[in-house]
Amino acid sequence: MTPDPLNRLVAQLAKLPGIGEKTAQRLAFHILRAPGEYAVELSQAIREVKEKVHLCARCYSLTDSELCGFCRDARREEKVLCVVETFADLMALERTREYRGRYHVLHGVLSPLEGVGPEQLRIKELLERLNDGKVEEIILATNPDVEGEATALYLTRLLKPLGLRVSRIAQGLPMGGDLEYADQATLAKALSARREL
Amino acid sequence: MERFVDEALVLSTMDYGEADRLVTLLTREHGKLTAFAAGARKSKRRFAGALEPFMRLRVQIVETRGSTVRLDSVDIAAGYYTARQDLALIARALYAVELCRELTRDHEPHPELFALLAEYLARLDAKEAGPTSLLAFELSALAHAGLMPRFDACALCGGEPGERPRFDQSHGGAVCEPCCGRARDAVAIPPALLSGLRALQEGHRTPLPPELRARARGLLNVFISHHLGRRLKSVDFMAQVGLD
Repeated sequence: MTPDPLNRLVAQLAKLPGIGEKTAQRLAFHILRAPGEYAVELSQAIREVKEKVHLCARCYSLTDSELCGFCRDARREEKVLCVVETFADLMALERTREYRGRYHVLHGVLSPLEGVGPEQLRIKELLERLNDGKVEEIILATNPDVEGEATALYLTRLLKPLGLRVSRIAQGLPMGGDLEYADQATLAKALSARREL
Repeated sequence: MERFVDEALVLSTMDYGEADRLVTLLTREHGKLTAFAAGARKSKRRFAGALEPFMRLRVQIVETRGSTVRLDSVDIAAGYYTARQDLALIARALYAVELCRELTRDHEPHPELFALLAEYLARLDAKEAGPTSLLAFELSALAHAGLMPRFDACALCGGEPGERPRFDQSHGGAVCEPCCGRARDAVAIPPALLSGLRALQEGHRTPLPPELRARARGLLNVFISHHLGRRLKSVDFMAQVGLD
């Protein structure tokens, strides 16, 4: 008979995405075998992430203070604002080390078939942010699917009349990709969005 | 397990597990199917970009023991990419696919409905389908599902709807003044709206003026909600973003 605390730990770990029963068991045994401090630190880290991490008051990314690091960083450009669906998308853009502007996280996309409308997203907050007149360009970096496109088109309708430059991230072939193996939809998009040289 | 090839329109998709996706398809020969697309969210090649609402595909499907089928491979027949660049067209296309999804049952072939939806999406993509065309599409789709509202005569007595017609969703259409006592939920509608909807049913494509279109949209929303037992989600979206 397995001890109850171990069963409980396995059951909790198995709820994590991508973790099945066997992996949960392996992780639980790892925690059991590890020094006592590791288990304390792990449980403390889990508790702290729930207690301390919240949304940034300006861009709605994640932070443990009032404003996130991106909003506090004075070296970042004030004039350019990149709108993303999720915090994970923000991190993906940060990994490029190419973008030095600010962010705004919508926390979702317009989804007509799921009944998600503009009121469920951080669109009102985005418009309020623009009142200070510092932003000159908005980059719409929502996903290139039907919901992401609908969101980008809706935001364009709201933002263009404000006199802002609105741009959409490019769509098409990946760097180092092979035309022969590209899928139809991406290739079709790459063709329609071709640029003159 | 049987394997078959069919034409399909993607009605909706739902993420499943870590990397898979459940896709609701309206196929030409096999009706509405829920297909399991293994690894659809991870694979960059197999289904990339194809499993999006209102894509027209050539699909290879494997039947399984349950009601869900397995999606083996897809080939895009029409992406309707022009329609995907316009918010109003996206909203109408999504409304059309949601309506078809709700009007059909799994594994019941509706080749006429498939043709109707494919034709409507092609016209949207060609920018030939305005808001009135959506009303016409809805009326045709309802007719295919056996839910055609009656606008040419009183749904209760079969007589002329008269000068002061009503509309009652539970009785299935127009109600004349003498019969309205038997239709407690009936609401008064302008005769011009009745004739406009009748003309659309008969295949005329004269655009309705905005105020009649708004009344027609309201009537059809109530009628469809009554018969489906719930309001379509994309209706609320259209209202929220100010589109019809």
